[in-house]
Amino acid sequence: MKSIFLKNSKKLLLALAFLLLSTPFFAQSAFDKFEGQDDITALIVNRKMFELMSKVKVDATDKEAQRYMNLIKKLDNLRVFSTASSKATIDLKLTADKYVKSVGLEELMRVNDSGKNIKILVKSGSSDSQIKELLMFIEGSGKTNQTVLMSLTGDFDLNEISILTDKMKIPGGEELKKASKNNR
Amino acid sequence: MKITYSIVLAITLLCVSCNKEPSLQKYFVENTDNNNFLALDISPSILNIAKDSLSEDQHTALASFDKINILAFKLTEENKEQYEIENTKVNQILKDEKYQQLMKFSTGASAASVSFIGDDDHIDEFILYTNRKENGFAIIRVLGNDMNANNIMSLMQIVQKSNVDMEQLKPLQQLMK
Repeated sequence: MKSIFLKNSKKLLLALAFLLLSTPFFAQSAFDKFEGQDDITALIVNRKMFELMSKVKVDATDKEAQRYMNLIKKLDNLRVFSTASSKATIDLKLTADKYVKSVGLEELMRVNDSGKNIKILVKSGSSDSQIKELLMFIEGSGKTNQTVLMSLTGDFDLNEISILTDKMKIPGGEELKKASKNNR
Repeated sequence: MKITYSIVLAITLLCVSCNKEPSLQKYFVENTDNNNFLALDISPSILNIAKDSLSEDQHTALASFDKINILAFKLTEENKEQYEIENTKVNQILKDEKYQQLMKFSTGASAASVSFIGDDDHIDEFILYTNRKENGFAIIRVLGNDMNANNIMSLMQIVQKSNVDMEQLKPLQQLMK
């Protein structure tokens, strides 16, 4: 009797420990700290949202919509942080740089366009155009002093992304479009 | 002996889990009569729409939708402390894993999030939470039975062509002031 109880409580303890350990992994991301900060606007879209959206019936004859739905199924998380404060910009940049190194993202392209410094980095999957993660950093200076950090995770093709930029108003969409064309 | 043991254990576990999971439902009930709060129920009749003008999809959508409950905390000079406490409470409740978060948005001065209960094709409840530093916070619960993404899209269409009965929304104006 006692031994059974002991055995069970051991299991319970193990389960509890596992639960406690695993939660931070789900909840935490390198950029979570930017949420709710005074100068930073944050937008997070979770996988569940993409999953739900992909279940919406679309007109079978509408090719564009079909492609869009196909892409959405493959997305996991979208995070966008933007700020106009120079202090927050430094913080965003430092965190992004550290993250790029720790995850091992590769630079896809770099653009310097009218005072905006745009960097696009990716983590490739099985093939070159297959992407597991896309990170974009737009550093503004002068008049367009808006810095944007965007991270998109999932398992998608780089060439598909242009559909997304057409449908959603994602910052740096033009550059993303160019990037996917260059890669072709 | 063994059976008694397990029964006692089961009951304790039950009690613990009850206490640990304060639900939004409970929170709504507890605070409806609180002066700091504004509570509002909206029924589908607000849409004020002729049933026979609806397509089949829209009909199912409307049938899956039950009602909307709103609970809002109106921030004033006097209740700032209370606001902090209640806001933290609500955020804590929403952290429970049964509320699956779809998306959230935040700036320094305001925040919003959308979550739901259920699974993809059988959504029981949508929860919208929003706060603004100068106004307070609001929780909007959209209740229904087996709602899904398609229903939501159809519902949007219905809302667009309906003559929303503004009378039901009057209490909300108080908040905006």
